Amino acid sequence: MGYIIAALSVVCLLGGLFFFATATIGLLRFPDFFTRLHATGKGDTLAVFLCLIGFAIHEGLSLTAMKIVVIAVFMFLAQPTATHAISRAGIRHGLKPWVKGEERQ
Amino acid sequence: MIASSDDIIIKTIARIFVPFIQLYALYVIMHGHYSPGGGFQGGVILGASMALLLITHGYDEVKRRFPENVVLLMGSVGVLIYAGIGLTCLLLGGNYLDYGQLSVILHVEPAHARSLGILGVELGVGFTVMAIMYSIFFDISTGGILPGDDKLNGELEDNG
Amino acid sequence: MNEFFVAVGLGLCLLVFLVLYRVIFGPGVFNRIAAISAVGTKTLIILLVLGYVYNRVDMFIDISMVYALLNFIGCIAAAKYLEMER
Repeated sequence: MGYIIAALSVVCLLGGLFFFATATIGLLRFPDFFTRLHATGKGDTLAVFLCLIGFAIHEGLSLTAMKIVVIAVFMFLAQPTATHAISRAGIRHGLKPWVKGEERQ
Repeated sequence: MIASSDDIIIKTIARIFVPFIQLYALYVIMHGHYSPGGGFQGGVILGASMALLLITHGYDEVKRRFPENVVLLMGSVGVLIYAGIGLTCLLLGGNYLDYGQLSVILHVEPAHARSLGILGVELGVGFTVMAIMYSIFFDISTGGILPGDDKLNGELEDNG
Repeated sequence: MNEFFVAVGLGLCLLVFLVLYRVIFGPGVFNRIAAISAVGTKTLIILLVLGYVYNRVDMFIDISMVYALLNFIGCIAAAKYLEMER
């Protein structure tokens, strides 16, 4: 039983690390502000969720695990809202989205 | 002056989050002697929740719920709680903030009285820090001139 | 299990250094804010890993929660300020 729980935790943490890496590559390689925000907004949210669930599975049933789940729910609501606010501010500020064929910013 | 955000997503999420943030701040204040935190940190989180409300819902809405004179009253009451507990210990024959002396009033053993005394002091510190942080945020975001204060506005316009 | 957590933390530190490129050289203030938000989410996990390494998760979980909270409020405030500026 202990092996199954450890394996689940490791799988969740490795998945979170993978999505963190993809979000970082997107942030570094994509051509303009909105596409970079697209990469980090989605990738980081899922990665944080997976990492926290991995920690909670490793912790078992306890007060700390409940707090970790609360952080996961909080991040799952807060991260998309922050991304939405920043992208909205960019549109209002007058940033133009990149279209194919233009120079990379 | 800060206007209300016209975006329904940000407003709704902020409205949902603010009570839970304040509950967490109270937890940080109450658990100050077992886990990281205490009066100052909990007060900063309370002030941050009020700043979030001010950013998303605008000046008029927040002023209606939590006006400036209540803020100043809360800051003064917090200092009064802190100094009052300290002076009570002094009057009961101990040093300033020597909580063990409170056991005479509270009818509990000295160790329990110390825990309760620290809790009271931290509540006072938390209220004061929250009120002063909120007041600083208010003053910076409005330039020191409050929009409802017509008399002061008129004087400033006359002078300049 | 502890060694695995240390490895995860080191990987996250490497990713934070990669994101710092966007924070320093990113054209314009908006790219920098997006990158700083990404650094904040990674720091949250690094704090939890530190808690497991030092065997004091019950302490570090509170710090981690406050970090998530302040990251969110900072993002909203920066977005509001840049929206007003024009």
